[in-house]
Amino acid sequence: MPRRRAGAAIPEMFRFMLEKPSTEAYPFKPIQLPERFRGKLDIDPAKCTGCQVCALVCPASVITMVDLGTRKVGDRELKVRRPLFDLSTCIFCGECVDNCAFNALELTKQFETATPNKADLLMNKAIVK
Amino acid sequence: MSTPPNQQRREESAGLMEYSTESLVPFGPIHPALKEPEYFKLVLEGERIVNVIPRIGYVHRGLEKAAESRPWVQNMYMFERTCGICSFVHSLCYSQAVEELTMYQVPRRAKYIRTIIAEMERIHSHLLWVGLMGHWAGFDTLFMWVWNDREVVLDLVEAISGNRVHKSMNAFCGVRKDMPENMEDRIIERMKFLTDRARYYREVIDTEETMLKRTENIGRVSADTVEKLCAVGPMARYVGFKRDVRLNDPYAAYDEVPLDVITTTQGDVHALLRLRLDELVASANMVAYAVKNLPDGPIRVKIPPIIPAGEHSSHCEAPRGEIFYFVKSSGGRTPDRVKSRQPTMANLPTALELLKGQTLADIPIVLTAIDPCFGCMDRMSFYDTETNKRWTWSGEELRQYGINYYFPERAKKKSGIKKAIGPPTNQYPREEF
Amino acid sequence: MSETLAQLGKYAEEVGTKVTPLRKNESTIEVSQDRLKAFVAHLVNDLHVRHLMTITGLDLGQNLGIIYHFSMERDTIHVRTTVPKAKPEAVSIIDTVPGAILYEMELHDMFGIEFIGNPWKDQKLLLPEEWPADLPPPLLKTTKADQIRRRLGLEAAKP
Repeated sequence: MPRRRAGAAIPEMFRFMLEKPSTEAYPFKPIQLPERFRGKLDIDPAKCTGCQVCALVCPASVITMVDLGTRKVGDRELKVRRPLFDLSTCIFCGECVDNCAFNALELTKQFETATPNKADLLMNKAIVK
Repeated sequence: MSTPPNQQRREESAGLMEYSTESLVPFGPIHPALKEPEYFKLVLEGERIVNVIPRIGYVHRGLEKAAESRPWVQNMYMFERTCGICSFVHSLCYSQAVEELTMYQVPRRAKYIRTIIAEMERIHSHLLWVGLMGHWAGFDTLFMWVWNDREVVLDLVEAISGNRVHKSMNAFCGVRKDMPENMEDRIIERMKFLTDRARYYREVIDTEETMLKRTENIGRVSADTVEKLCAVGPMARYVGFKRDVRLNDPYAAYDEVPLDVITTTQGDVHALLRLRLDELVASANMVAYAVKNLPDGPIRVKIPPIIPAGEHSSHCEAPRGEIFYFVKSSGGRTPDRVKSRQPTMANLPTALELLKGQTLADIPIVLTAIDPCFGCMDRMSFYDTETNKRWTWSGEELRQYGINYYFPERAKKKSGIKKAIGPPTNQYPREEF
Repeated sequence: MSETLAQLGKYAEEVGTKVTPLRKNESTIEVSQDRLKAFVAHLVNDLHVRHLMTITGLDLGQNLGIIYHFSMERDTIHVRTTVPKAKPEAVSIIDTVPGAILYEMELHDMFGIEFIGNPWKDQKLLLPEEWPADLPPPLLKTTKADQIRRRLGLEAAKP
């Protein structure tokens, strides 16, 4: 058992004084994010077909399908639906992104999503069609 | 344990009803005069703790009930959020229990990736814990340095999975994302860095007077008690039991990756510090080995959303101990019953046995030594049988009391800590009887 | 099959039940309530299967199931027993396995099973003090989440 002494950590303390600080300079400088960072959800409305698989797999009840009327295919009337996202409960898991067969969804690198207005977090880009 | 009659009367008058048998800790109701829900009630004789009466359940979220109405895959995300630091192991254990009900096998590459992430989580958890021990012992410098090194492993995890804490990497029969390309050298280099740092911290805790004074010969419990009370994880390994799920019942890739289970018979909190730092080094070696020998192949097998009927269980080694999941399916889209048991629940009777006989100043060290994983230590109430005083302290006040108890020369220098030296003056009015 | 399991199989036959193997090193044994204490004592003291992982409760319609999960090296042994829902009283194994105390208290809170022989069988471990006496235990299939929320005065969840 080595000799007990106080101040075993003092040499290390000097080393730390000579190094640059470990604190990130955010928000005064932009922060570096990795490639796979999971931030706010985004949808490409042109690719969405309303198949509602994303609404079925979401664990956090973010997605509700909204009826937008009907359209004629041959001699049948098919319902047209598009998703409405309430991103205030999103857990950024990415299940919707993985399961979308048309690659319409993407988790961007945007993480500064705090807002005092809850309506800002309602994403209805796909509805206006 | 038969208490003398006047002590019994004093304890009963304080509203702390007591049931006691030979080797178990009594639990009691909340005193009606205290307005806030208390977490621990400690009965003292002067400085020594005689009895501990806990109350848990403040962060009980009803996950087992909620799991019965959600589809299988959504439950995995829910159980991942049981805990922040052991999140990956929770989802892994649940996945393993469900995968055994299906007919599909997990690909070998997925098993290796699961092992890598689980061991990185263990490194993260042990680094966090060493920092917390430094904080509660009064050695804040160690806390800052260790948490600085923690950023190294968190950056690696973020590069692989996209998030630092809730990794969401698990899927049924596989993992969701592959390892990024060209990361092998970086991971091995960082693991070497963490190994060197862990060896340095080991030297610090072995020689630094602050840590030795606070952790040596504190928190002793007999091996027989630990076995009877079914403790798990480092709480069983620090008295000499070689109890580790990765060794006894290997899962994921632990039968192929060389495993080093650390046990010690030293039996005090200092031994726990050394044990967890040694486990950190062993985990870093395992990650380096697994990354070098990663097999090729698919990372996932897609399975249908309906799981066949049956029952199965699975257990895994989280950083804190053994996690156990039991899953029952009746062939539908939602489970019939999911039971999850966290390691802190299994360690709680042992932890309460540990506290008996310790002094007031040792409470934060002993409670942190079991590595608890519930919202803890925000309020504690005390009852001293010798002076008949009752008072309440917050965690910060208790911490300052402990530091000033062991290092009184520090207390003289700082001025605003006066109220933490000895019982404070805000006492509850005594009851007449 | 390990030696412990072989000995357990022999003992089970003597007592009148049998060991059913499941997939991946797990086996399950069905024991009635009156034989439970002796069975667990034999398991712990004679066969040295010391580690109890947890105790699970199940709602089986007419009965409530209790499963004790023991672990020994590679094998997991589930010991199952049932109590009727109309009279949910079970035998406590505290004197053999003192570590079972918290698990039995949790089952009492969540399913309403009373463990006779447990010194704290009337204490609440996880449920709050304000839990109304006429509200049934939460984990039964007949207790709905909405019912609990309304009775405790909590706000409704998101649909």
